[in-house]
Amino acid sequence: MRDQDNETISGELADAIELLREQPSVRPAWRDDLLRQAYAPESAGTAAPTRAWRVSLSVPWALAAGIACALIGAGGAMLVRRPAIAPANVIAEQHVAESAAVMLPVRFSLSAPSAARVSIVGDFNNWNPATLPMRRSADGRVWEVEVRLPLGRYNYAFMVDGRLARDPGAPSTADDDFGTPNSVLMVRGS
Amino acid sequence: MRKLLLMAAGLGLAAVTAGAQERTLPDKLAPATRATLERLIDSARTAGIPSVPLYDKVSEGVLKGGDDDRIVRAVRTLARELSDARTVFGPGAELPLLSAGASALHAGVAVNDLRRIASSSGAATDPGTLTTALVTLVDLVAKRVPVALATSSIQSLVDRHASDRQFSELRNGVEQDILAGRAPDASVTARIKLQGITPP
Repeated sequence: MRDQDNETISGELADAIELLREQPSVRPAWRDDLLRQAYAPESAGTAAPTRAWRVSLSVPWALAAGIACALIGAGGAMLVRRPAIAPANVIAEQHVAESAAVMLPVRFSLSAPSAARVSIVGDFNNWNPATLPMRRSADGRVWEVEVRLPLGRYNYAFMVDGRLARDPGAPSTADDDFGTPNSVLMVRGS
Repeated sequence: MRKLLLMAAGLGLAAVTAGAQERTLPDKLAPATRATLERLIDSARTAGIPSVPLYDKVSEGVLKGGDDDRIVRAVRTLARELSDARTVFGPGAELPLLSAGASALHAGVAVNDLRRIASSSGAATDPGTLTTALVTLVDLVAKRVPVALATSSIQSLVDRHASDRQFSELRNGVEQDILAGRAPDASVTARIKLQGITPP
């Protein structure tokens, strides 16, 4: 260590502070050895459960874990920042990073004030009217339901008091296989 | 690293599985119809045609009260249209595009016209926008726009690299015009002109 007289301390102290702020350079082999010792079981007889990711921790693993966490965090942020719920009759307004894992909330709504029961059927629920009943809005005029769907193209229709009806605001198919055309929903990525 | 990647992939897979529907044939089908449909769907799958839309067609048919023969016919037709669409778009085409292509063929668009739209430079940039273009095309046909006019109008938009928004505007505009009493073909011609494209 250097001498510390009052006149030089302040300058050296500043240097020391700077040095302390820097990461010490450590030989990778030494660091690996230290980490192995730190995470090794205390004795061969103690069967403390050890989590796999800790056992194999090393500097490259730590870096890899950091990168993976950052990527997962970025993915989460992307989902959080997605547009709010898309109405079903809007084509292609959902633009998020394309991934098979992306599920987007889509709100279906239908104005049917005199209906007693409304549900939605389509490719997303095996055309089963029991699985997605719609709820009447507070003013009693509109029926709504929100569904989370993977990216894709879906045929669907409303079931209003046992009768099929297409969504008046959505594109139609020209499909006359069974006498009633469907509406089409696209949940898009970009 | 590999473990971490697998872990991340596993998280994503869980989300997909939560939203995916298990496809099975409905119970209401007669045993003979069920056997026919199973054979049909199996051969389609073997030929590389996605089976999900075929199962969906069966479920749709059962809900809509179609008799068994009609359901089998519809599934057979859809399998052929999906196969034609796959020939047009290539084996790597994703399901939404294949389904939209099959739907266009079902609406009366010729395979060659579908191929022309698909080979446009505007179509090459984004399969999603091409899918939107085909959904719009089918919607126009459903609105009684003649198939030839609807096809050439969509072709001209695709050639000009039209965006999803432009296709949506065309569809919404034509719908408003029809509600206001305008003829579907006159509406399409005028709307295409409005978008700065020479009418076909």
